[in-house]
Amino acid sequence: MTNSAQKEAVFSNSQLGVDEIPTLKTLTLLPISKKYRALNIFSIGLIALVLGGIATAIRLQGFWTLPENLTLAYPYVVAGIVALGSVWALYHFFADVRIFYAIREQDISKQSGLIFRKLSCQPILRVQHVEVNRGPLDRWAGLASLQVFSAGGEMHTFEIPGLSIERAEQLREFILAHKDIGAR
Amino acid sequence: MTAPETSTNQVSHLDKTQEHKENAPLHSQIQDANLTDPKLKIETGDEWQRLSLISILYFTIRNFTNMAQGLIYAIPALAISFNIWDNLLSPEVLIGAGILLLSTSGSGVISFFMYKFRVYNQHVEIHHGVFQRRYTNLPLWRIQNVKIERPFYYRPFGYALVVLDTAGSGKEEAKIVAVPEAYAEALKKQVLYEKEHHEVGYKGELAGEELSDKELSDGISSSRTQSMSAKAADNVNTSEEVLNRRSVKDIIIHGITNNRVWIILGAAAPFYDDVFGLVSEWLADKGLQLNQIVGEQTVAWWQFGLYAFVILMMLMALVALLSVGGALLTFYGYTLSRVGDRYIRRSGLLNKLEVSMRASRIQMITAKQDWLDKILKRVNLYFEQNSTAGQQMQELMSPNKLIVPSVTENEAFELSQEVMPGCDLRGQSYQTISKRFIRFWLLAVWTLPVFGFFTLGAVTSHLDIMIGAVTIFISVALLLTLRWWRWGIAYDNKYVYIRRGRIGVDYQCFEPYKAQQVIVKQSVFMKRKKLATIKFVLASGAVTVPFLPEEYVNKLADSVLFEVESTRRSWM
Repeated sequence: MTNSAQKEAVFSNSQLGVDEIPTLKTLTLLPISKKYRALNIFSIGLIALVLGGIATAIRLQGFWTLPENLTLAYPYVVAGIVALGSVWALYHFFADVRIFYAIREQDISKQSGLIFRKLSCQPILRVQHVEVNRGPLDRWAGLASLQVFSAGGEMHTFEIPGLSIERAEQLREFILAHKDIGAR
Repeated sequence: MTAPETSTNQVSHLDKTQEHKENAPLHSQIQDANLTDPKLKIETGDEWQRLSLISILYFTIRNFTNMAQGLIYAIPALAISFNIWDNLLSPEVLIGAGILLLSTSGSGVISFFMYKFRVYNQHVEIHHGVFQRRYTNLPLWRIQNVKIERPFYYRPFGYALVVLDTAGSGKEEAKIVAVPEAYAEALKKQVLYEKEHHEVGYKGELAGEELSDKELSDGISSSRTQSMSAKAADNVNTSEEVLNRRSVKDIIIHGITNNRVWIILGAAAPFYDDVFGLVSEWLADKGLQLNQIVGEQTVAWWQFGLYAFVILMMLMALVALLSVGGALLTFYGYTLSRVGDRYIRRSGLLNKLEVSMRASRIQMITAKQDWLDKILKRVNLYFEQNSTAGQQMQELMSPNKLIVPSVTENEAFELSQEVMPGCDLRGQSYQTISKRFIRFWLLAVWTLPVFGFFTLGAVTSHLDIMIGAVTIFISVALLLTLRWWRWGIAYDNKYVYIRRGRIGVDYQCFEPYKAQQVIVKQSVFMKRKKLATIKFVLASGAVTVPFLPEEYVNKLADSVLFEVESTRRSWM
């Protein structure tokens, strides 16, 4: 790539003043669907219910006799499940409304996190492929999450959760239609 | 069959008799072969090829290693199911072992017969596998990396193993198990050529694939193709220049510096008895008797300790030897050279390993210098390319990292200049991170457990536990301070530099336009103090610099994104 690299190296951006560079600070952040929080809390409740149900079923069934200790531990197990579930739900209650995304001509950004606010920015030029993901609960609620894969590896898959299905498809189309996709 | 001017016939090992006869008078053209398309010599036609017989040896050895690896997992199961030591020499076991041995050696022959390959129409095709038949079809221009391995038993016969890597997962790699060395070289050259060609074609906004598929395989050379071939060939065939060699001394240094544990242990050896005695006394004081732990053994506990000590020493000596030996095995005769736009590393004592990497693929330069390296003024230099293959390979062998072991500081400077012109790792004025980094880690992570430990000591009135807790806290604080002191970032409008480390120092350097993603993190508390953490995701991994001034981070993130989006340069 030496030849082309040299050619391209001549083209540089360092001459531009800093003020002329678009900045992340001016992003217009859009909220994700409000249903996302409700869905999350609902599914946490569901998981807690199932776990508690299993514990109760073991406690109350008559097929075999439980050891004394386990019978005693039952209320604590249930209390633990409820406590963990509520903390988790509480986190989502506050964190999910703070997930935002933004689209610019050249990149997509997402802001998320409760205490540690994280703003990630994915240039569309570096996108390898896009997926719209819908779990069973997502389908039920009419939501979808957009996953954008880059060469940064699976650890750094850019994901916007809790989008309405129309919006997710629209974003996917936008990324796929972008002229930079396919030009590696 | 094909246009004669595009043929260079350096390979006569491969059984392609007709072609050889046809092209025999062209041998004199080899001199000016550099600029012509080297395609013909690697095509094997549509006939499927068998490997050379020597590959039976390779398959057998491979199957043996596979079996041995399988057996390691089976040993615990076997040991549980029956008392292995009593029955070790019983006829059943011997027969079983015999059958296993025979079938494994036989399987080499079977594997040989089940393997066929051809290079046809710009595709490498391989049929292989005994129980599970696999068919691999690799277009030449998709191949990212070509490795040529020469196991020691191949060398006397002049054979080589070609490993072809694609960009995708590690599973998509194909091996042509035994081909003549010259053919392997030719294949490699062809693949590199093909890639160049493909990419040049791509840049010319042509349908690259169609072009290399149809026109080339048909041997038609339009004027456009020719000019591109010339350009591509020019890139591939420029003469090889050796950039760096490592002497045996360098490699021994590398072996020592990169396995430092034994040095610490070895230097502490004279104090082992004392430490051992102190520890056991201390434990006894706490109501633990070592000889109780060891149990009702016939040996006294101190004898046991002595054995343990001797074994430890022997292990350490072994580790040291292994480390140097391993370094020699992997790096003997190390050369780093440049051919056109590629860097090629060759090294190895028994198995010559060759890794080549395109310059444009290099995402980051890392210069690592540990404390022992610092004393000896050596640096380990890594050129890292994309590591999305998923599987973690051993660092030294990995095709994703091109390592130049234990170079001197000046050599490191020159080499990094070679790969990234104008890159000066040390000459930057680094933006250091905030002292709050130390405070954060101490308060958020370390205070609670250490404090708990301390109170435990205070409550049970054990002064030593309290002192231990304080010592741990102080040493953690010291390490964090060192870390804070080292950690910094710099941007000189061309490269982003990162400096980090605790006792040793690592320098990293990357071109901003190769970033895949930029992440800015900021906790609520950091926001109040106008601090932020920046993270760059590159194809070779992510780099993070925490607790930088908010203003600086925003500016840097914006400029890096701008660099990516405005230059539109490829990261590959």
